[in-house]
Amino acid sequence: MVQIDATLTDADLLSAFAAGDRSAALELTQRLTPRVMGQAYRLLGNRAEAEDVAQDAIMRLWKIAPDWDAERALVTTWLYRVVANLCTDRLRKRGRGVALEAIEEPADGAPSAAAGLQETARGQALRAALADLPERQAQAVSLRHLEELGNPQIADIMDTNVRTVESLIARGKRALIAKLSGRKEELGYDDDHG
Amino acid sequence: MTMITDEERLLEQTFAEMTEEVVAPSEGLMDRIMLDADHVMADMAPAVGSTAEPAQGIGAALLDAIGGWMSFGGLTAATMTGLWFGVFPPDVLYEYSTGVWGSTIEVPVLESDLFAGLEG
Repeated sequence: MVQIDATLTDADLLSAFAAGDRSAALELTQRLTPRVMGQAYRLLGNRAEAEDVAQDAIMRLWKIAPDWDAERALVTTWLYRVVANLCTDRLRKRGRGVALEAIEEPADGAPSAAAGLQETARGQALRAALADLPERQAQAVSLRHLEELGNPQIADIMDTNVRTVESLIARGKRALIAKLSGRKEELGYDDDHG
Repeated sequence: MTMITDEERLLEQTFAEMTEEVVAPSEGLMDRIMLDADHVMADMAPAVGSTAEPAQGIGAALLDAIGGWMSFGGLTAATMTGLWFGVFPPDVLYEYSTGVWGSTIEVPVLESDLFAGLEG
């Protein structure tokens, strides 16, 4: 059994898992699931769906473990891509309309229930608008502005170059603004910015 | 210098709100992920630490596909029975086929000429 310590990389742990070490799987689960879950939730805005995506993404990681090539990509880079793909698929299937029941109550500690609901509505409107974008624009925008990654890392994740990423983000944001500009009042932006 | 429009500022604000949404994975999710890991590890187990089995030939693979030698015996018996019925159909089959199709066509299975030279 591999002695788990912080110096082991995700790739080391994945290799140990592929060799039959359960403790490596446990360590990877604890390291990676919060990040995967966070990315999926920010894109989908729904806990149950985000958990499904997180489980699906990590299941794919387990399955690819015996063939993992550490020279080709970081585990986290690969996971960002898988989660982005799974989420954009779901957003697309969900379509333009967002069911009211899919909008979750704001978490405790929000400034007020009304303000929290409005923030949630903005988030859902933005997610719906993201679903309408071409897939690569949606992925580049979400990785930059929801995951707050740098353009070089996004280029790695999307298997392209930084210039293309910049272009995808710029076009994606213009399209999002166009889609949301007709809903400013409904989404409460005027309240905040007078 | 690039001017930031109101719309861009509002978009950035919404992104910032969404980024603040932190949702920890539930214990149930962690358990399900570990269960998946256990299943995948169990599937990988024969390949881990065991000596490689010799590669199967095409014949062995075909046998496996039809269920092995036991099935092959049954298949052989059924084939031979079909051949026997084709050459020497029982009367009951002859009557049935005539009733269903209205007529019968007789096709000689063995041409007598083939054997002409063999007859003493």
